[in-house]
Order: sequence, then structure tokens, then C-alpha cells
Amino acid sequence: MTSARRGLAAQTLRRFARRPVALSALLVFVAILVGGALAHVIAPNGWNVIDLSPTALHRAPSFAHPFGTDEIGRDVLVRTLYGVRTTEEVALAGAAIAALLGVIVGALAGYYGGWLDAVLMRVSDLITSFPAVILTLAAIVYLGEPFPHDLILIFGGYMWAVVARVVRAHIASLREQDFVDAARALGASDARILVRHLLPNVGGTILVAATALVGQIVLIDATVEFFYYGLPASVAPSLGNLVTAAVQVKFGFTSNPTPGAGSWWIWLFPGLVLVLILVCVNLVGDALDAALNPTTARG
Amino acid sequence: MTAFLARRLVLAVAVLAGVTFGSFVLIATKFSSQCTSQFTPAGVANPPLAGTVPQAGSLYWDWVKGIPSGRSFGVVCGGETTSQVWPAFVHTGALLGATALIVLFAALALGTLAAARAGSAWDTSLRGLSYAAWAVPPFLLAIILQSVLRSVSRHGFHWFSIYGWPASCLSGAGAFYPCGPTGGTAHHLLEILRALTVPAVALSVAFIGLHSRYLRSSLLVALNAPYTTTARAKGLPERTVVLKHALRNSLATFTSALLLDFGAIFGAALAVDVVFGLNGLGSLLLTEVGGVGGGDGPRYLNPYAIETLLATAALFVIAASVVAEIAVASFDPRTKLR
Repeated sequence: MTSARRGLAAQTLRRFARRPVALSALLVFVAILVGGALAHVIAPNGWNVIDLSPTALHRAPSFAHPFGTDEIGRDVLVRTLYGVRTTEEVALAGAAIAALLGVIVGALAGYYGGWLDAVLMRVSDLITSFPAVILTLAAIVYLGEPFPHDLILIFGGYMWAVVARVVRAHIASLREQDFVDAARALGASDARILVRHLLPNVGGTILVAATALVGQIVLIDATVEFFYYGLPASVAPSLGNLVTAAVQVKFGFTSNPTPGAGSWWIWLFPGLVLVLILVCVNLVGDALDAALNPTTARG
Repeated sequence: MTAFLARRLVLAVAVLAGVTFGSFVLIATKFSSQCTSQFTPAGVANPPLAGTVPQAGSLYWDWVKGIPSGRSFGVVCGGETTSQVWPAFVHTGALLGATALIVLFAALALGTLAAARAGSAWDTSLRGLSYAAWAVPPFLLAIILQSVLRSVSRHGFHWFSIYGWPASCLSGAGAFYPCGPTGGTAHHLLEILRALTVPAVALSVAFIGLHSRYLRSSLLVALNAPYTTTARAKGLPERTVVLKHALRNSLATFTSALLLDFGAIFGAALAVDVVFGLNGLGSLLLTEVGGVGGGDGPRYLNPYAIETLLATAALFVIAASVVAEIAVASFDPRTKLR
């Protein structure tokens, strides 16, 4: 079993590596994540260093400030790096919690079936039938101004339903197979069958679903911050609140906007990094899916 | 079909009742409301709206009883009737309808072209474009397109509206009032088209990228199926093989995926609505939760208005899922409506 699994993993890796675009996307994604994680090393003075000297206020991109500076002289590149750090913390931790809960719920529902399956899947249906943006907004409005750990718990708290559905479907199809009957005949307990025999076979499905979750959380988080309800920019910069704060300064939301002075660099660079993360996640997710399921790949 | 619709209606009512009751109790027992509904008993408006769950349940029941007459959708705030959900519902519905049409036709055209020319430069270019489109959040694209419109309008290009819904404004208290010039019906419809086109494009692009890929993949499976080979062996032209034999069989998967994605489209529509000031559910949501403008987070919550918005969101998504099931059954005769 172990060698077969290793063989499958090696085959998947080989298929993935044969896609240069996906491989490049993975490298870019990892580079962005590492850049965000090392933000405090790259810019040890933090994200809120204000420089009110006339040469630093509201400057377009230059060698000294590659992403320019904002209206109070803060470096947009530094703020974007710290924004990446916050966004990646929320997205990776939120996706990890959602994946863990989703695997537990999906495995129990798929393996035991019956009323447990019906109850868990109806709860999952109820959650997934609601627009994720509305659910997140509702949770934030109810709980109050969020910190990153609140957002992680909110995303983990409902996005498990997405993973649970795919894991449940996969486990339900596997539980009827001969190797499960064989394990049962040898006296294996339900827990052992689930953990040792079934879950390792669902690893690829979980990986693909978790990768998609990272992208979804980044997107929903940015959209919610656009509504001014995500992480406040005063607590920590995130890619969503950097774009939104800059655009609000420029346009205003609640009245008919007036043409702004074109300080495009303040929102464009964080916005581009946001788009780059989403492109990379989508490419990597699709390539993983294709590598794991070569016959049904979206391609 | 009738039995199916009846069963889905019962299920929809149960879901709506559960969601609205749960959220009402949560909001009413925690938040005060600067606004009151016509049903709010004197003296319980502040704070919180309801002290206990039974009190909240009683207020909820009052709200439910006011739905048939439409009274539940009018909330009094400072003596002014607010939360007129109907106009917002119409504006968002129009945006969603226009978006659905654009996504449907564009994704069908691009997905079919990519599958029919799989492996060609067309396919590769479309693939790159679809990944890029898929990754741009609709609110960001809306901001960029609005910026572009603003720039070109300074050079005399005024085909599309930059902000607002024709002849309808939304007050800070959530009330709609007539504003701007009004013309005849044809002129009004033209103005609506001017206001809707760019927001609908901004909302569509990401979903065109995603769903053209779905269609391409399901079409490729259909184009390799034995019945397609038979159609080719009969000497049918490739256009007929693709459009009449393969595409028809791929439509079930495509339509189902598109309609099941409706929740995501709805969420994104709220943000696009705010950018372009369409005074739809997104604008109303921001007004009702009262957290925008002052920049100091939410100040109050109006449970009656929130209920209506939640119920509307659920209604849109449930309706889309029912349409998806009917569409799949009509495209694929093997599927039975149960």
C-alpha cells in the first residue's frame, strides 16, 4: 500500500512538473508567500512609517520607492509586503482549518452514511447555498471589528462545507471497494479503516480542494474589505484593505464621486499582487487536479 | 414537474424561515436599532431590540405577518420610511440578468471556439485570457473600468454612465427618491442600458473566464464520445457535429455549473453595485448596516432590513438552483426531476 501510494505521489509530481506554466505559477506563488512571511525582515521598521518630507509625500514609483508613496509618505511596497503577510496568514490558516473540519465531517458522512450523512450534508447544503460574501459580512457585522484570527475562524467556520462535500463523495465511493472489505475482514476498526486506508486515498482530492479554498478566501476577504467590513487598515494592512482604502480616498463611496487626482500606484500595485496570487492559485489548483486525474482534467 | 416545484417550494420556505429566524434572533438580542419597524413595541427599541429569545421570536412573527401586505419592507427611521427593498431588488435583478446573458453568450462562444480549435494558438490565447479574467476580482475590475470611463468622458465620450441609476437616488437613511431628468419610457430604458452595460461587463469577465473553461472541458469530452465519431462518419460538417451534437450534450453540465455559481455572482454584484452607485442591494446593505461613511465601523443594525436582505439573497440563490435543476433535466432526458 505504502509503495503504491508513493508511486501515485511520484506520478502526480511528475505530471505536475511537466506543466511549465503551473510550475512557474507555483514558484511565483511561493516567492510571494516567502516575501510576505519575511516582511518584518525586509522592512524591519514596519508598515506604518510616515515620512512627511516634501520629497516623500505622494510620490509616483521611483528607484527609491518602486511602488511609490501614499499621501502621508508611507512606502506602498512595504505596505504591500505586510499586506501579503496578513492576507496569506488569513488565507492559509483559514483554508487549513476549513480543510481539517471538512475532512472530518466529509469522512464521517461518507463512511457511516444514513442519518449522520443526511444531517451533515443538509447543514453543508445550507451553508454552501448562501453567497459566501454575505455569510462573511454577516459574521463580521455580528462579531464586530475583526482581527486576523477572527477572520481565520470565520472562514474556517463555514468553508469546511465545500471540502466536506467532495471528501464525502470520494469516501462514499471508496467504502464499497474490496480493499475496505479486506481490511474489515482482518478485524480493522472503523477508525483504522478511515485513517489508514480511506483518507490516504483522498489526499489528492483534499489537496485540490484546499488549494481552491486559498484562492476563494483571498477573493472573499478582499471583497468584504471592499465593503469596509474586513480587517481595518489601522490594525494591519491586507491586500484588500490597501486597495479599498486607496480607492475610497480617491473616489468616496456614498456619494456621486468626483474625478480624483490620478494616484493610481496606491491601489494598482496591491491590486496587481492580489490578481497575481489568484492567477497562481488557479493555475496550480488546475494543474494539481489534472495531475491527479489525468483522464478528467479541465486542461 | 408540478410535484418537483411544490417540493422545492416547501424546502425553500423552510430554508428561508430557518435562516431569517436564526439571524433575526441573533441580531435582535444583541443590537440596538436606531430605526424601528411599524411593529416595534414602544420602549424596546434601544438597547437591545429584544432582551430574550421569546421576545425576539414575537417581533419576528410580527415581521412575518407583515410580509403579505408589504408592510415588513418599510422601516421607520427618524420619521422617514426607509428600507424600500423593492427598487433595490429590481436594480440588482437587472444587473444580474444582464450579467447572466453576457456570461452565457460569451462563455458559450469562447468555450466552443477553444474546444473546436483545441491545441491551436486560439485555444492557448483564450486559455491565458480566461485565467487572467478569472483572477481579477469583479470589484477591482469595476474600479478600473470606472476609472477608464472617467478618463474618456473628459475627452467627450459619454456613451456609458459612470455612476448612479437613472432618475433614482438613495438617501443616507436608505430611502429612494426620484432625482435627475426623466424622459419617456424609451429614453428611460436607454438610460438604464447606459447605466448597466459597464457594471454588467465588470461583473461578467471573471465568470466568463471560469465558465468558458468548464464548457471547453465538457465539450472536449463530448467531441471524443462515440456518438460524435458516428456523426462525423455520417459525413456531417464539423460545424454541425460541434454545435448540434457535442454542444447540446455539454449544455447540461455548463448550465448547471453556471447557475450553481449564482451565489458567487450575487456576492460580487453587491460590490459592483456599490462602485457604480446602482442603488441596488449592495448600496442598501451598506446604508442599513450603517458602518460606512464615518469610517468607525458599524454603529447600529436594523434587523428588519437585514432580514429582508438576507431573505432576498437566499431567494435569488434558491431560485437559481431550481432553474439549474430544470435546465439540466431539459437538456439531458436521462435526468429526472425529483
